[in-house]
Amino acid sequence: MIELKGLTKTYAGKNVVDNVSLTLDTGEFGVLIGPSGCGKSTTLKMINRLVPLSGGRIILNGDDVTELPAEQLRRRIGYAIQSTGLFPHWSVAQNIATVPQLLKWPKSRIDDRVDELMAMFHLDAAEFRHKYPHQLSGGQAQRVGVARALAADPEVLLMDEPFGAVDPLTREVLQAEMRRVHQQTGKTIVFVTHDMDEALQLATRIALLNGGKLVQYDRPIELMVKPDNDFVREFIGQADLGLKLLSRRWVHQYQREPSLEHHATHPGLDHCWQLDDAGRPVALEGARLDEDHEVTEVKPEWTATPGMSMKEALSRMVWYRVMVLPVVDDAGKLIAEIGMQGIMGIQAENGTQAS
Amino acid sequence: MNGAIPGAQRLRAASAGNRVLGVLIVLLIALTLGMDQLEPLFRALFPDLGNPLYSRDSFLNLMLAHIGLVLMSSLISVTVGVAAGLFVTRPVGREFEPMVSSLAAIGQTFPPAAVLAIAVPLAGFGFAPTIIALSLYGLLPVIQNTIAGLGTVPQATLEAARGNGMNRWQILRRVELPLAMRVIIAGIRVSVIINIGTATIGSTVGAKSLGTPLIAGLVGNNLAYVIQGALLVGLLAIVTDLLFERLERRFSFGR
Ligand SMILES: Nc1ncnc2c1ncn2[C@@H]1O[C@H](COP(=O)(O)OP(=O)(O)OP(=O)(O)O)[C@@H](O)[C@H]1O
Ligand SMILES: [Mg+2]
Repeated sequence: MIELKGLTKTYAGKNVVDNVSLTLDTGEFGVLIGPSGCGKSTTLKMINRLVPLSGGRIILNGDDVTELPAEQLRRRIGYAIQSTGLFPHWSVAQNIATVPQLLKWPKSRIDDRVDELMAMFHLDAAEFRHKYPHQLSGGQAQRVGVARALAADPEVLLMDEPFGAVDPLTREVLQAEMRRVHQQTGKTIVFVTHDMDEALQLATRIALLNGGKLVQYDRPIELMVKPDNDFVREFIGQADLGLKLLSRRWVHQYQREPSLEHHATHPGLDHCWQLDDAGRPVALEGARLDEDHEVTEVKPEWTATPGMSMKEALSRMVWYRVMVLPVVDDAGKLIAEIGMQGIMGIQAENGTQAS
Repeated sequence: MNGAIPGAQRLRAASAGNRVLGVLIVLLIALTLGMDQLEPLFRALFPDLGNPLYSRDSFLNLMLAHIGLVLMSSLISVTVGVAAGLFVTRPVGREFEPMVSSLAAIGQTFPPAAVLAIAVPLAGFGFAPTIIALSLYGLLPVIQNTIAGLGTVPQATLEAARGNGMNRWQILRRVELPLAMRVIIAGIRVSVIINIGTATIGSTVGAKSLGTPLIAGLVGNNLAYVIQGALLVGLLAIVTDLLFERLERRFSFGR
């Protein structure tokens, strides 16, 4: 748990962080967001004391951070930044091992941990262990940066626009990975971004800052449906609130049993999946907008997974003109389906999100 | 820079470089130990000279004395230069940076002969004034490159080092120095090469070096002596330079 109490930073007589108080419980994914220069990075860097506090207190799991030796504190806190800051003269494995090395873990434990993290981030150890940072793509380097931050199993992970410099496609992949890693590890995360879509994708708590002040601190849904003032409303953007809402919903929350035979009497279930011997969907009978295609071959492009956002599922339905998508597991086996009705069933009010 | 060269080609270039270096080293040793064997050649080239082979001292002795001068002065240049470069790039010494840089630059603008001339009344004839002149002279490239090398370490890398819990000493040892090393070594390389050449004039104030036959030849109008001295100094400089090149490459970390 992290508590910021009246946190203030003054540069040249100006409070660039102004009396910010908030509490982030263990396991929460907190996102600091706001316009450029609003004090996000400064707030983040005060948590690991890269920036000294001008006023207020920060309590990390009961310890006042200013009372701990700085280096010791930082080894308890993972830190990942936009430009990765990977050590260019160290291999991927050495980079990931940075903090365990400083903590003088035995070599075998370090090696095991490096392997574990590389697996977690889908980096093939044989291929990447001995590569240098300049031999990595932007997305790979960013994965290594996050793996390094997680290496010594820190109590908190701080991330400053970690995906700000990668292309949009890679960013989406990394965001999905980050969500998975958060779920797998249950880490408390403080994440800085100025991209609201990214915040909505990832956060369980969003802190909106403006001019150094905390404007609203809430769950993403609350921020959307109950903005405290016009600034919040404007920052979130009213244009596609419905779509933003869908980006906070996951297929596994709304999927249903797949229809394996025709139910002529049930509107919306008047379709059925054809499976192969391995249980993978090969074709869809019915449920197309254009009737002349009665049987449609199933393509990976319009297949859903339980972890996919409802926004993405909707996007695929619209693009491929199907009313229902197959939901498959890692092996490609049909485990459920997700239909238009599922999407229409989502309401802003209906409960707090699963995290 | 080397990134564009495919691995096989780079390997081939490296092995060709190894052969050249090997040949030059053999040549340097052979000439140092066996210059006497070339007496007939020099006699044929310079029939007018009564004594076409420098023989007041062995070339081995001269070579060792020369290397000794360069080693000693470079050791001082490197120690003082790296220390000064480190000092002015730390928070405590940052304000001294302009002063140290310009002092070192001024030192470089004096002709070595002038530095020698000043050092002699202070330190007497022989080894000491030469060492003083050479170390002063070799200081600038070391200081300059130490500052420049440390300056090439990206800000994000330093922030990551701090953010991952390294203390100042660990940041210096594990991050800054290794990353700056290539540039620092390039500075040492320049410094040493300059000093190999400059050490020859030490013989004018009585410090034995490969300059001794060279100066004697110039004074006594004996071109053969000049060639014998210059040949060895030149070879020594080239071999040293190639050795430094390989050392630098060690700090390129796969790039
Ligand atoms: N070392 C410093 N000295 C003086 N002012 C600073 C310093 N660091 C930050 N500031 C100022 O503090 C304010 C907040 O900076 P900060 O880096 O926290 O913003 P940010 O919200 O992270 O912005 P961005 O989205 O652009 O990264 C800015 O106005 C910045 O100019
Ligand atoms: Mg910032």
